Amino acid sequence: MRLALTALIIKEFQQTFRDKRMVGVLVVVPLLQLVVLGYSVNLDVNHVPTLVADEDRSVQSRELVAGLVAGDAFDQVGELATGQAALGAFEHGLASIVIVVPKGFGERVKRGAPAAVQVLVDGSDSNRAIVAQNAATAYMLGRAVALAQERIAQVARQRGFVPQIRPLRVEPRLLYNPALDSAIFFVPGVAATLLLIVTLIVTAMGLAREKESGTLEQVLVTPLTPTTLILGKTLPYAAIGLVDLGLVLAAGSWLFGVPLRGPLVVVFAAGLLYLLATLGLGLFLAAVVRNQQQALMAAFFVLLPGMLLSGFVTPIENMPTWLQPVTALNPVRHFVEVLRAVLLKGASFSDLTSQFVALAGIGITLFGAASYTLRRRLG
Amino acid sequence: MMPTVVEVQELTKRYGSFTAVDRVSFEVGRGEIFGYLGANGAGKSTTIKMLCGLAAPTSGRASVAGADIAREPERVKRSIGYMSQRFSLYLDLTVEENLRFFAGAYGLGGARRDRRVQAALELAGLTDRRGTLTSALPGGVRQRLALGSALLHEPPIVFLDEPTAGVDPEARRGFWRVIRDLASQGTTVFVTTHHLDEAEHCGRVGLMVDGKLVALDTPGGLKATHVPGALYAVELADSRKMRHELANWPGVVEVEPFGPRLHVRVQGELEDDGRLEHELKHHGHNDAVVSRVEPTLEDVFLALVGTGRQSKGAA
Repeated sequence: MRLALTALIIKEFQQTFRDKRMVGVLVVVPLLQLVVLGYSVNLDVNHVPTLVADEDRSVQSRELVAGLVAGDAFDQVGELATGQAALGAFEHGLASIVIVVPKGFGERVKRGAPAAVQVLVDGSDSNRAIVAQNAATAYMLGRAVALAQERIAQVARQRGFVPQIRPLRVEPRLLYNPALDSAIFFVPGVAATLLLIVTLIVTAMGLAREKESGTLEQVLVTPLTPTTLILGKTLPYAAIGLVDLGLVLAAGSWLFGVPLRGPLVVVFAAGLLYLLATLGLGLFLAAVVRNQQQALMAAFFVLLPGMLLSGFVTPIENMPTWLQPVTALNPVRHFVEVLRAVLLKGASFSDLTSQFVALAGIGITLFGAASYTLRRRLG
Repeated sequence: MMPTVVEVQELTKRYGSFTAVDRVSFEVGRGEIFGYLGANGAGKSTTIKMLCGLAAPTSGRASVAGADIAREPERVKRSIGYMSQRFSLYLDLTVEENLRFFAGAYGLGGARRDRRVQAALELAGLTDRRGTLTSALPGGVRQRLALGSALLHEPPIVFLDEPTAGVDPEARRGFWRVIRDLASQGTTVFVTTHHLDEAEHCGRVGLMVDGKLVALDTPGGLKATHVPGALYAVELADSRKMRHELANWPGVVEVEPFGPRLHVRVQGELEDDGRLEHELKHHGHNDAVVSRVEPTLEDVFLALVGTGRQSKGAA
């Protein structure tokens, strides 16, 4: 058993490192993907191209617009004569947001009469639209409060009062990721999905290749037990997976400044349980497919929902209520949660009991089911 | 009789409605070279796969080296070597890496492993090419390496499934020399082939047709039973016309054209030496040249399955 297992593990490493492409898949690709995803997946909404249709052209309207485009959020890219032209501008992709200040705005503000400003948002990119809309609305509300204060102060002075205005102050302070840096939020997700891709594809493809070439049959006539075979086919890739995890975290820290605020051992303990699940999935696919092509197809059927239902890109709270409980079965979700909690919040084992229980449960179930299926298929 | 090492009773394998192996029974003795003969798809490989524990029988039973194939597959695997129809060592590993891996899989370690790997390298003639990638080896060498690998753990029985398929005649001859050496040292060799000439090397030959074992005997016994009488090659000028005339002679069982000559099988008085030539000359065929030929397994095969099957890959 020990001799056979050692022989199997040595053989897996020999084959893996003989194939230069495999080394690329296991080491270079994860790092490359981290870099590409880290730099490109950016949910920060800044520098929104903005067009202004100032139909009023008064002091008040100019002040309003100047204040809006003063920050990083909105960049004025041009002017429109009227609000009518807004649709055309959206269709040509000239702007994501159009501010229409109607004629008579300044005059109404001066009088203290209700005045309206129209904010048109291109909703085709919903995430961006919501952020832009919120930023514009917040700005307009602030502007309204300022105008109201001015007016109250003016009236008070006329009547000989010293105005005492204390509006409600909101003081948001962002914890853990104060700059709301997307990379910091994404690196844990990228790490989890990369580990899934690497281990799932390598195990499924590896066994499928042995089925295809007939070498599996030659191995099966040896007294090597199914348990040894399964261990020999997974332990090397579990080791490679853990190395990959370390590489991705190191690269994330170096390139994107992702912090490590909690104990590393928690990350790797969770990583080990996570690998149990992903390797189990790989074995399961290998047991049911006939060849490498089918293995690859099946792997993609698993990878996509695994990534999308993990909370990596879309928050789970935003998913339909019936779908949310399904994500509890997704190991990627729990591992992403552990990574985020440990890296950003400095969480420890005691804070992550539910995630660890879930990961262990999913891992043991998947690996057990895969081993059972494989034993039956290999008989 | 040698002690029995393979015992097969009513072994059957069905895939859906297709019966690949149909109630096959036989025994193989220790040190015997047992040839399993038949066209492609006749059920040879399926039988071997069941005996090696790679496929479960639908019904019937079999034991290999005293272990029941259904109940104790692990014990069976310890006592057998198996060489598949397809080359099934790792092409992306070197010769030595392959051998060391399979030695480990058979539970060999330490000095014994080194010794057995060396023996396999010698058998394959690859002692100075141990670092070569297996994919770079020519077909005949690969087959010998696969055989060496199957013998690493010194199994008392080896199953060789079409070991010489796609191998040139020279390498085939060398391969059979190795097989005979093995058998003479007491290893039982169970070999399938569709080369009828190779079957002549076997102690006994079983003939599979459509999943059934239709004949089982020594090559000589098969010939005596299925090709009785004496076989003569006849050379004469007007062989085409004589073919039909000869077929009507009393005592002539069969006349088959064989190149420019005729193969004439006779029984009774005509079997006697010189009798056929005498009769031919008596009938005015003074140019007739008659020589005795030994029947081959091909004659047996044709007698058993008819000429219609020949195109299916036998011979």
